[in-house]
Amino acid sequence: MKRVTSLALLVAVALAVFLAAPAVAQQKVVKIGDLGSKVGVFEGYGKYQSMGIQLAVEEINAKGGVLGHKIEVIAEDDDTKPAPAVRKAEKLILQDGVKLIIGAVSSGSTMAVMDVTKKYKTIHWNSVSCAEFMRTTKFHKYYFSNQPDSRQQANGLAKYILDKMGKKVYIFYTDYAMGQSDGRQFKTALERLGGEVVGVAGAPLDTKDFSPWFGAINASGADVLFLAFAGTDSLRLMTQLHSFGMTKKYKLAGIDCFLLQQDLAAIAEPMEGFVQLNHFSAYNPDPNMQAFNQKFKKKFGVDANIAAGAYDAVYFWKTAVEKAGSFDSDKVSAAHEGLCTDATHIGRQCIRTEDHQVVMDMHLYRVEKGKNIPIARIDGKDAIGAAMVGQDPLKGFTWEIKKK
Amino acid sequence: MSRTLGWRAAPVFAALAALPAVPGMTDYYLLLAFDALLFGAVAMSLDLLIGYTGLVSFGHAAFFGLGAYATAILLERGILSLWASLGFAVVIVGLYALVVSYFATARRGIYFALLTLVFAEVVFTFFRYTQTFGGSDGIQGVPPPELLPGVTLDTPMRNYYLIVVYLALAWAACRVLVGSHFGKVLVAIRENEDRARFLGYNVQRYKMAACMISALLTGLGGALYPGRAAFATPDLLLWTVSGEFIIMVMIGGLGTLTGPVIGGAFFIVLQEKVSSYVDWYFIVIGAVLILIVLFMPKGLLGLRRLLGARPWRATA
Repeated sequence: MKRVTSLALLVAVALAVFLAAPAVAQQKVVKIGDLGSKVGVFEGYGKYQSMGIQLAVEEINAKGGVLGHKIEVIAEDDDTKPAPAVRKAEKLILQDGVKLIIGAVSSGSTMAVMDVTKKYKTIHWNSVSCAEFMRTTKFHKYYFSNQPDSRQQANGLAKYILDKMGKKVYIFYTDYAMGQSDGRQFKTALERLGGEVVGVAGAPLDTKDFSPWFGAINASGADVLFLAFAGTDSLRLMTQLHSFGMTKKYKLAGIDCFLLQQDLAAIAEPMEGFVQLNHFSAYNPDPNMQAFNQKFKKKFGVDANIAAGAYDAVYFWKTAVEKAGSFDSDKVSAAHEGLCTDATHIGRQCIRTEDHQVVMDMHLYRVEKGKNIPIARIDGKDAIGAAMVGQDPLKGFTWEIKKK
Repeated sequence: MSRTLGWRAAPVFAALAALPAVPGMTDYYLLLAFDALLFGAVAMSLDLLIGYTGLVSFGHAAFFGLGAYATAILLERGILSLWASLGFAVVIVGLYALVVSYFATARRGIYFALLTLVFAEVVFTFFRYTQTFGGSDGIQGVPPPELLPGVTLDTPMRNYYLIVVYLALAWAACRVLVGSHFGKVLVAIRENEDRARFLGYNVQRYKMAACMISALLTGLGGALYPGRAAFATPDLLLWTVSGEFIIMVMIGGLGTLTGPVIGGAFFIVLQEKVSSYVDWYFIVIGAVLILIVLFMPKGLLGLRRLLGARPWRATA
């Protein structure tokens, strides 16, 4: 009897395995790449990018995946440098066979990766980097971005600063692709609206001591300090500005990725009153934004932030793949163009056909007690500016200070 | 070059040539092999200075980066000939190396290292802040070079064979050099500079020559890089890259030529593979380096001793 039971059990297991085998075999997988800074000066952005991707992928997989394929994410650290970023992008595409790359975090790396995604015809979404070259001279048909670039941010910020904060502005930026780009575009936008740039200076990425620049800032007669820094650079800069009494002396404004919400609480006092433009805040009462924040917080135990962009990028790609009915990059690229989605954290978002930049509303926020509180909403169409694919965004630009 | 060494190297290069035919060899692995062999070759040329002459250069990234910029500048302007790029790199790197080596070799020990570092930082700063060459973004998106009119180096396979040929030629040149009277004098300088001078050798001239040869080989390696990566950025000139080159030499084994090639390849592959699994990969790499320094002071090539083979460390 014991032998019969064992035999039956064996047959049952074999049958179960046999029946389950086709189901397992049907679990087709499509891979996507998450490329960015996982350590170093931009670590926070890279890690939140990964969290945004993970959240979207888990949701999509729970509903059956995309075109019957489960999505598998392969994350790679680019060391915040172009050379490793290129090597990792090649690995993701040529070795892992990813159909989508999201990244990188640093603008310099993202631009280098764009050459790889162009060469190997791979869909490439950028949800953090903001240099102005990516939708102009570097643009290619497989590249898409839902990160407001420098021009969008400058257009959104400059008017508010002139109207509410002051006309004399000192531009202080991190001296590499992103900061230079933000500084240039902000200077252009401010001067176009009649504002006066009274000084500009760039500090190298990962600067430890900013005080050598403070003398020039104090001598400039500025009303407003426009700060184009990110990550740990921003933390150090604000701490040092505060210790020199300059956070009280000047009105402060900055770019969208100046500091993550999670970092604000630690330096709430120096950041008090700081104005920045962003597309997400956990303290925005907007129902869409709160809905996104709740599910993000439920999953990771922390508030969402810039990660919302990476989350949306996955959904845009998924929708485009389903629209194309294929993972073929040419078809998926074409399917992206003009694609709109309504249920995002910022409401309606549309991919502009000409330069593949997402048109979306943004908010101006003021930091109050360590929280980004919304003070104005900027219509996406007002900020995005004309498509300039293939045109040099630096044409006619000069850092020269025009004295009034 | 001794016949023994030549014959010993032949199967290695034959194996490298056959690598693309290995089952499972993808384009990605060919590109990784390109990087491994390129940086291995650069480490080998640095070994001429560190291992044979006893001069530690903290500025080799400048030679590499200048070579890369020389190619990128031409490619960006539509001059696609690989030979033009290599020629331009030789001129640019050669002129820079002449200045650096003249001043740096006039000093000994730490001063040589510091001067190479300072010169390299000047070059780094120049390219970082000169918008004509792209500033901090560098020159990006350059087209692939042409070996001959119509023969574009646009595939991982072609680039791989290019780097194998470069490595073979550079290795042969280095072997001939260290086996010659000139090479013996370099080793003599490393062992006792005063005695070499006392014997009538113009020590600075020998050191300058070693520095120039090492710089030119490194610059030529750099000149091949944009054809594979499509960019040249200031990061390539940074002192941390010079530090990595030194680490590659240390890993492989000082004064062996072959060791640094292995060290360079090992470093690149280790960095690439470990960073795919852990965010804090540099800690793993650091631990591996510490272990190698502590337990294999002669580098990876020192393992040969354990296997009973004759060490290759150069002696005067």
